[in-house]
Amino acid sequence: MRLAGKIAIATTVLMFIAAIVTGPVCAKVYKTALSLAITGPTSDAGNPYSKGVEDFFRLVNEEKLLGDDTIECIIRDDKYETDITKRNFEEFMDMGIPIYLNYSTGSTLGLKRDFEEEKIPVIPASFHYGNLENSHYIFLPIASYSEQVIGLAEYVANHSEGGTPKVAVFIHPSAFGRGPVDDLKKAVAAGLKVEVVEVVEHGKDLDNTATLQRLQNKGVQFVICHTVQSPVATLLNDAQRLGLIAGTFGEKGKMTFLGAHYTGGNDLIALAGEAAENFYWTTSYTITSVPGPGADAQLALAKRYKRDEKTANSHNYANGVMVAQVAFEAMRRAKARGLEINRENLYNVLNDMNGINAFYPVTTVGPVTYSKTDRAGVDSLQLYVVKGGQFTAVGLPFRSVYMRKIH
Amino acid sequence: MTYFLQLVVSGVVVGSIYALSALGFVLIYKSSRVLNIAHGQIIAAGAFITYALTVFLGIPIFISFLCSMVITFFLAMSVERVFLRRLIGEPIISVIMVTIGLMSILDGLIYLSPFGSNNYSFPAFLPETPLNFAGVSISWTQLVGVLITAVLISAFSWFFNRSTVGISMRAVSDDQFASMSIGISVPRVFGLAWAMAGLSAAAAGGIIGNITGLNFETLHAYGIIVFPVVILGGLDSVGGAVVAGIIMGLIQQFAAGYLDGNWGLSGTANVLPYIILLIILLFKPHGLFGTHEIERV
Repeated sequence: MRLAGKIAIATTVLMFIAAIVTGPVCAKVYKTALSLAITGPTSDAGNPYSKGVEDFFRLVNEEKLLGDDTIECIIRDDKYETDITKRNFEEFMDMGIPIYLNYSTGSTLGLKRDFEEEKIPVIPASFHYGNLENSHYIFLPIASYSEQVIGLAEYVANHSEGGTPKVAVFIHPSAFGRGPVDDLKKAVAAGLKVEVVEVVEHGKDLDNTATLQRLQNKGVQFVICHTVQSPVATLLNDAQRLGLIAGTFGEKGKMTFLGAHYTGGNDLIALAGEAAENFYWTTSYTITSVPGPGADAQLALAKRYKRDEKTANSHNYANGVMVAQVAFEAMRRAKARGLEINRENLYNVLNDMNGINAFYPVTTVGPVTYSKTDRAGVDSLQLYVVKGGQFTAVGLPFRSVYMRKIH
Repeated sequence: MTYFLQLVVSGVVVGSIYALSALGFVLIYKSSRVLNIAHGQIIAAGAFITYALTVFLGIPIFISFLCSMVITFFLAMSVERVFLRRLIGEPIISVIMVTIGLMSILDGLIYLSPFGSNNYSFPAFLPETPLNFAGVSISWTQLVGVLITAVLISAFSWFFNRSTVGISMRAVSDDQFASMSIGISVPRVFGLAWAMAGLSAAAAGGIIGNITGLNFETLHAYGIIVFPVVILGGLDSVGGAVVAGIIMGLIQQFAAGYLDGNWGLSGTANVLPYIILLIILLFKPHGLFGTHEIERV
């Protein structure tokens, strides 16, 4: 009897252990990773971006959007330094991640060959068109910087009166800033009716008087900016002081300022104040100052995770949520097809994301479509303008015509 | 002609702010022969303290600005007391390495605060309408910045040339051991130099932040951007910093106004100051007004 009792107890213990061990085998943990600038240059964008990624994956796990399976996303700061990004990426690869979220233009270009060798799908925060050249595994979340800048130039061409409008391009002194300049020139060569009078690479300028007056002397009416908010804010403040900001789009003798994704958002208004009025901005994201399901979803997510108001209303928070959504959607679809979550399958699922399989996140102004020949996610752009201290939508989402002609 | 005058005014404005930013370097070097690599971080800290006092505590901005200068005065003095006092008598390179470490620590502390990765701007407190004289425009922000710079630089010049403590600081700069032998407290002089550098950095941070907005990356970059000004003026000359700052400001504005965008040139405003710096240093290796030391061996 005593032996039988011991066997019974041992059996019970073994069954208990087996239950514990076999339980998690059913629920899988999918690892992914993000390396970005939480500190250092551009951390004002990277910080809310990382929170967007973090919050969306928390939502996926808490709401069991992948059933019992969960996503573990490792987020590391790289201080905007490519060597640190590379080190992070190598460690992430050792962890066996099936999809990787990257950040800067420099590191995306620098690691492009690594991504090809590892055959891992990558979604960066950089929308540089050059990321897509000689590469198969980089998927831009939204329209490229080139498409944004050319789209703005097309808007200028279509909405300005009299003659060919004179345009200056105000850019960040880096690969990120210079990226779309050649494409814009190609679009002009292909027939886009604007004259690019000058490309201005800014520094840490305390006073842009000389630049602005030089541009005015050359008859520049439109300044398309492709940089971050701080230099644009200084430019706008100086333009306001000199009385150069157009009160209406294309006002004669004045300048209308426009900008691509990273120039705009609430931070620009915070930095430039009243000088931001009438600044035109384009991005593929919905924004919280324009009511709609995208704004509601973004604010609800931020509220759920107790984010401050600044983060909740940041377009870079939306940016982070969006890339997390795409990564999650790829995993969800792979799982629904009974596929293993690995690099190859996620790569194929992403390339199938088009036509009736297009992905519709509510925080963008159009669907995410990827294929082997189109690795820019949301192709549509929305134009916004600052009115009364906040961005409001101008017209309906649009697509660049000339981007299709030159690429 | 109006265009030329506008560039002159802009150059003087920018140059004055450079001079004020450079002042902290000069004050520390003048008394201790140390280059404080963390100066940009102190500039940023000064700007953020002004903002925090104004927005979070509701103190009027002019008073916040003065309070921020007082706070950074004691903050920099504490930094010297905690980190640098024990290095008196050690090789200068050791002290400079400590300031590099200090830079990392201050970076880390600021990144832990909301100011590290958010953009802010001071509440508007000056008239929006710029002043115009014969077609030449200057904003109130710029004008106030220039006036504050002028007052501070005059005060520091007087301090070094006329006051007993200022003369003691110059003596310490010349020879620490000789200064000690005549009863000057070298540690006290070092502490005071750091404190005054902190004060001037807070003033510079407040002015720059009011022009560019409060972005940590932008603000602390001025610690490096003004380096050519410090070298050109002579590392230990307050007057040199002013003259060199204005020269640099004018060069930048004239380059942006007359060279950039012509003959295929671009970005000369950012490069030309360094080229001119190199040329001047070929002929004046100690800068325009730096002390030329002759050692008898």
